[in-house]
Parts: sequence; structure tokens; C-alpha cells
Amino acid sequence: MRQFAGTDVSGLTRFAKQTHPLYAGIIGLIAIELTVVAMLVVSYSYLMLTAPEWPPAGLAPAPLLWPSVNLGLLLTSMVTMRWAGNRITAGDRRGLILGLLASVSLHALVLVFRALEMAAYEFRWDDHAYGSLMWTISGFHFTHVASAIVGTLVVAILAVKGYFTPERQLGVVVDTLYWNFVSAAWIPFYLALYWGPRLI
Amino acid sequence: MEERREAPTRERRSEEHQEPLHPAIEDDAEETRRLTETWAAPTGFVGWFMPVNQRIIGRRFIVTAFVYFVLAGLLGIAMRLQLAAPENDLLAPEIYNQFFTVHGTAMMFLFAIPVLEGFALFVVPMMIGTRDMAFPRLNAFGYYVYLIGSGVFFLMLLVGMAPKAGWFNYVPLSGKLYEPGLGVDIWTTMITFIEVSALTAAVELIVTILKLRAPGMTLNRMPVFVWASLVMAFMIVFAMPAIIVASSLLILDRLVGTGFFVPEMGGDPLLWQHLFWFFGHPEVYIILVPALGMVSTIITTFCQRALFGYTAIVMSIVATGFVSFGLWVHHMFATGLPHLGMSFFMAASALIAIPNGIQVFCWIATMWGSRMRLATPMLYVLGFFWVFVMGGLTGVMVASIPFDLQVHDTYFLVAHFHYVLIGGSVMPVIGALYYWYPQMTGRMMSETAGKISFGLVFVGFNVTFFPMHQLGLEGMPRRVYTYLEETGWGELNLVATIGSVVLAAGFATTMVNALASLRWGETARRNPWGAETLEWATESPPPPYNQRHIPVVKSREPVWDWREEDERPVVVGLRSDRREVVVTSMLDAEPQAVQVLPGPTIWPFLSALAATVGFIGILFHPVFFVVSFFLAFFSFVGWFWPRRPWQED
Ligand code: HEM
Repeated sequence: MRQFAGTDVSGLTRFAKQTHPLYAGIIGLIAIELTVVAMLVVSYSYLMLTAPEWPPAGLAPAPLLWPSVNLGLLLTSMVTMRWAGNRITAGDRRGLILGLLASVSLHALVLVFRALEMAAYEFRWDDHAYGSLMWTISGFHFTHVASAIVGTLVVAILAVKGYFTPERQLGVVVDTLYWNFVSAAWIPFYLALYWGPRLI
Repeated sequence: MEERREAPTRERRSEEHQEPLHPAIEDDAEETRRLTETWAAPTGFVGWFMPVNQRIIGRRFIVTAFVYFVLAGLLGIAMRLQLAAPENDLLAPEIYNQFFTVHGTAMMFLFAIPVLEGFALFVVPMMIGTRDMAFPRLNAFGYYVYLIGSGVFFLMLLVGMAPKAGWFNYVPLSGKLYEPGLGVDIWTTMITFIEVSALTAAVELIVTILKLRAPGMTLNRMPVFVWASLVMAFMIVFAMPAIIVASSLLILDRLVGTGFFVPEMGGDPLLWQHLFWFFGHPEVYIILVPALGMVSTIITTFCQRALFGYTAIVMSIVATGFVSFGLWVHHMFATGLPHLGMSFFMAASALIAIPNGIQVFCWIATMWGSRMRLATPMLYVLGFFWVFVMGGLTGVMVASIPFDLQVHDTYFLVAHFHYVLIGGSVMPVIGALYYWYPQMTGRMMSETAGKISFGLVFVGFNVTFFPMHQLGLEGMPRRVYTYLEETGWGELNLVATIGSVVLAAGFATTMVNALASLRWGETARRNPWGAETLEWATESPPPPYNQRHIPVVKSREPVWDWREEDERPVVVGLRSDRREVVVTSMLDAEPQAVQVLPGPTIWPFLSALAATVGFIGILFHPVFFVVSFFLAFFSFVGWFWPRRPWQED
């Protein structure tokens, strides 16, 4: 059978960003994790709505202050991440490193506040279903923030070594994508855990 | 055969391509050698843990899954022997409970899902004309996770600690109170493991299908099997997290005393049922949908004509995917949920018959008046028709609540779901094994043995499971290790047991055939069945790079076009000294970029080990959560760290 050239791809980019399959893959990962988030929120709501009292007798809904501060920090870190990405597009490596480190610090602060808050819970996970949910969901989110931090630290190390250029920045792009998911995932948890009991 | 194909005729094509005349491309032997070298998989013992090529991983999934099919099938036979006569004492009650739990779990999680994933991983990249999956290392990771998870789960049976709470593991029966010991702990963690593997395969498939199709393969030229795999993958993405959450909550209940499913603590056992069936029902369709894709593929090839109603079939597959998420409550009709809700789910359950019916009509239209070639794959498809339609009928029956309340937890259900699962899924899978075997091994399976196997399976299957409908109507409950003489169920049970031995002989014939043909099978010609899709546009078995040139596609049946035109357009400009594939746009498959794929590596295996240490360790001490967090972190860094020289261009 005769073969002839139908398409020549030698000139196509090897450094795709949004069109790169990895970008789509991270979106897939996020879709999976969002389903997990949804399942956790649904489980929480299901038990909340079928319970006679929520939280159980003698407990007040968890205080709003620190979770709200965390919400602010997490959302701000999305902005600093975005800024870091813009810097490397402009070829500014120092700006990239700075932006990454700023975002990591914001998340680290969140970890500290969350740890203090959880240490102050007046209940344990094995006291009642409410306690189980508060601890489990908090633990889930805590672990995610921690992994976003270590992942981004690795990206920062690569940045220091000069791996990223305006062309080659897929690593930064996908890390930012996942970062945004981890930060924004706090919104549904925040609403369910802290506003849910106040609104029903 | 050509009536329904809008294949460009020779004249039309030469018009299109008159100016400038395309010079022919001659294959350069040196370049072919370099391609082979670049895409080759490592060999040797350590090498076994390193390959990332899609066909190797897919084949491993298929082989491993069939091993579990045999093992779980043996458990099924053992249960049938126990039930052959009233008050039989072959299996103790304890053992019987372990057997049906492991049989059900293994058939669903260790065989059915992995085997269909395996076929998708093996076939889809070739069918869409590319050289590997989008994330080859993740693919390998998924396999090791599956291998380890399923192995540990099955070992529990050997040491007599298998779970006994049924394949859906209802609380409170699966709580610490009624199921002390490691059985259920292992069930939950290993199921999570296997789901993780399914999720990685799903993401892979979605991205590969959407981004790596050969130029010109627009969405509406995509083969039906690829559509089916895509829908399966999306269903996995949205269904599996539910079971992961459910089993994580259960393991927390069991290990650290949380109260998600404990009523005294404000939890609710029904939460388990909702989460489980939100996954469990789509699961049935996750198994079914790709099998239906196989049926379409086989029918097209063996009738040698384009599928009738391509669009209708694709729409039905997609619709099945959506509707199946609205069905979970029909497994819980007997739990006393509010009425209005129940009616909704009853309607939805009946509704799912519509898209499946449409597909059946399209297949019949395709076969009508064609000169059908009755080789083994096609025989299995015909067997599928009969059995699947029966299973569908009883399915519509149990979708009605009054009837369901009667037969709930009886053998009528056992008959129904074996009809759907074996008919709807196992038969097409066996057909597909015969069909794609040449691409896996370079040889053909024996046709004679194939026909014998089909005869035994078809007869054996109906003799085993048909009488169970009657047993169910007579009130025989499922999951009992024996029954009394006076019930009068003895004869039908004996018939069923005899049937199951015949059925097993049929499956065994195919398994032996597959092994023997490795050695003695006839060497496959190129495109032995005369199929129309791209996985056949290369040698059997294909070289490590799948196709010498990635083709450019102009219709739904590219291979038949080339057969007529005797020429074909291909992609040029990919490098042969590293693993490059073409990235195309999602809808129209316009070339967009080139992706450089990674080569063989040990890191996915190490990552899978790290995950194992964590998941098993956690059963003994919580500190393993932290340990595995860091182990996984280091192995992922090893996995992703760019190698020097950083790919320059
Ligand atoms: C060799 C063929 C097979 C035989 C002889 C067989 C036989 C049986 C028997 C005797 C039971 C137990 C009924 C009870 O006591 O309640 C059972 C349950 C089951 N089987 Fe099969 N089976 C076969 C193949 C399959 C296949 C291919 C699948 C799925 C793909 C499957 C899925 C199941 C499931 C999900 C259960 C329910 C387990 C539970 O109650 O938790 N079986 N089978």
C-alpha cells in the first residue's frame, strides 16, 4: 500500500501548556477529588439532617473566626500562585520563586491555625458521629494542604535550579491547577461544617 | 456491503488530492530500527517491574483478571456442589459465607472491572492510532496497585480469615461487633486499592481518548468501542469515589471507633447503603457498557458492513451512563424509604431498558441480510443476545417494587444478576479474547476448541441459572449454606449443579485454548478478521511502537478505505529517538502539539509498594499514615524528577 504525508508535525510545539495531556489529566484528578469532597459533604449533611440535634446536646456550633481567617488565607494564596505563574511567563525566575514561597507560607499558616483549632475541639472522634465527621473532614483537608505544600516546594526547588523557562513551565501550570483545587475545596467544607449547623 | 458507507471513492479522492501530487514515503530501515529501540520494553527480572508500554500493561491486566476469574469460578463450583443436595455437609457454614463473599467480591472487583479496563488499555490506544497511553507510568502504577491489592485480598482466604459479610459488606454485619478479625479490614483497604487502580486507568483512558486520537478522527468517527471505553471511564470517575469514601469511613469506624454507621452515636447504617449503591449500581454498567462496545465491534467485523445507527448507538451508550447514576436506590426498595422517592427510582429503573433496547435493534439491523461469518467471537455475541435479553427482562420485573419485595434476597435475584453479568459481560469478553488474541500474541486461537467451548458455556449456563428463577419464586433464600429436604428444592438444585460443571468445562476449554495457542496456534495473518479499525492496520503482534506511522483518518472505517484506495495518508515529523506522539484537539482531532512520553522506570512499582506499606500498616498502627505519606512523597518525586539533559528542543 502506498503511503504519503498527510500531516507534518515536526513544527508543532513540544512544550504545550493548556493543550498538554497532563493538564487534562490533572483536571481528571481534580474531578475525582471533587467527587470525594462531594461525598463527604453529602455524608455530613445526611447525618446532620437525620439527627434530632446537631451538634449533639451540650455543644455549640464550632466558632467561626479561625475557619474564616483560613478561608481568606487560602483564597489569597491562589492569587500569589497566579502571580508566580505570570512572573515565569515574563521570564522572571526570581519572581517565580518568590511567588511560590509566598503561597507556601500562606498554606503553612493555615496548617498552624487548623492544628490549633483542632487541638481546641471539645470532643473526640469517637464521642459521636458529629465528632467523627469534624475530625475526618478536617484531617482530609489538612492532608491535602500538606501535600500541596510539599509538592510546591519541589517545584520551587526546580525553579531555583533554573529548570523553568517561559517556554518550559508545564510543571508550574499543573501545580497551580492542583493548588487552586486544594485551596477552593475549603469553601464547601467551610459552609457545611461551620454554617450548616447554624442555618438548619 | 458498501451501501451504507460513505467511503470516498477512488475518483473523489484523487480529485481532492490532485495538486500537488503527494510523493510516496518509503520506510527507512535504519529509522525503523531506531523506533524499535526507543519503544522497546526492558527484559529480565528487574525489567519485569519497569515497562510502561500500553500493550504490555493491558495484557497483564487481562491475564491477571482471568486468573481471578478461574479462582472465583472454582469457589462458585464449590458452592454449587455444597447446594447439590439438601443438608449437604461439604462446606461448613463459616466457609460457605467466606466463599460467597470472596466469590462475589472477586468476580466484581478483581475480575470484571480489571478485565474490561485491561481490554480498553490494550485496544484503545491502537484503535485511535497512537503509540501509548497519555501517562504510561501511571498506567504501570495502576497495574501494580491492582496486583498487590487483589493478591493480598485473595490470600486472606487461604489463611481462613476472609470476610463473610457478602460482596456489599453491609453494616452493621460488617461492623467490629459481628465481624471481629482482619477479614473486613482487608476487604475495605484492598477494595480501596483496586478502586485507585481503576481510577488511574479511567483518567488515562479519558485523556488518551480525548487528546491522542490520530489526526482526522473526529468524535463522530471514533469507533464504538472507544466511545464505550470513554463512557466507562467517566462512570468510574464519578462512581468509584463513593465506595472509597464509604470504605474509608467504615475502616475508621472499625479501627479508631468513629461512629458514622453506629446509630447509638448518631450515625446511620443506611448511609453505607446509599454510598455503596451510588457506586454499586453504576458499577454494573461500568462492566456492561464496554462489553456492549465489544459486541458492536465484533458485529461490524463479522458482518463486514458498517454499523447501522452509529449515532443512535453512541447516544444510547452515553444515555446509559447518565441514567445508571439515578438507579442506586432500587437496591434499597426493601429498606422503607419515602414513597415519592421510591416511585421516581422505579421509573428510572424501567427507563434504562430503553437505550439498551435501541442498541439491540441497531445490531439486529446490522446483521439483517448480511453474510455473517460464524466464527467463535460472533458465536459468543449471539449467545450474549439471548442471555442478555433474558437478564434484561427479569431486570424490568425486579425494578417494580411490589415484585421486588417478593423476590428480594431469593435465588430469583441470583439468577437475574448472573444472567446480566455472565450474559452481558463475560460472554462478550470471551468473544473479545478470541477476537483480539492475534494482536496480543501473534497467533490465532483454535476455532474448533472455541466452538466447543461456546456450546458448553451456552448450555451449561442456562442449565445452571435458569432453574434458579423457579427456586427463587418458590422462596429459596440466597446466601444459605443448605436447605431442608422437605422444601422440595433438591431436584432443581441438583440440575443447577450439573449445569455449573458443564459451564465450568466450557470456560476451561477457552482457558486451555488460550494457553495452548500461545505455542501451537496458527500464526496470524495481517488483519486476520478483515476488520475496519486501526488496531489492525499493523502487524500481528504489533511492534513496540504499534504503528510504523501514525495514520491520518478520513472516515469511521479507515482500514476499509485503504483497502479500496490502496494508499493512505500518514503523519510525518515525529522523532524516532525518543517517545513522541501527536496531541490533537478534543472534538476535531486537529494536530495541536507533540507529547514526549517517558520511558521504562521502576518508580511506579516503588510507589505502589509505598502505598501498600501505608494501607496495610494502618491496620496495625495509625503512625503508618504519616510514614506512607512521606514514602509516597519520595517515590513521586523520584517518578517526576526531570532527567538531565532536560529535554531540549
Ligand atoms: C462459573 C460460574 C459461576 C458460578 C457457578 C456461580 C455461582 C454462584 C453461587 C452459587 C453464588 C452464591 C449464591 C448464594 O449463596 O447466595 C454466587 C453469588 C454471586 N456471584 Fe456467581 N457464579 C458464577 C459466575 C459469576 C460471575 C462471572 C460473576 C460476576 C461477574 C458472579 C457474581 C456473583 C455475585 C456478585 C454473587 C453474590 C455474592 C454475594 O451474595 O455477596 N458470579 N455465584
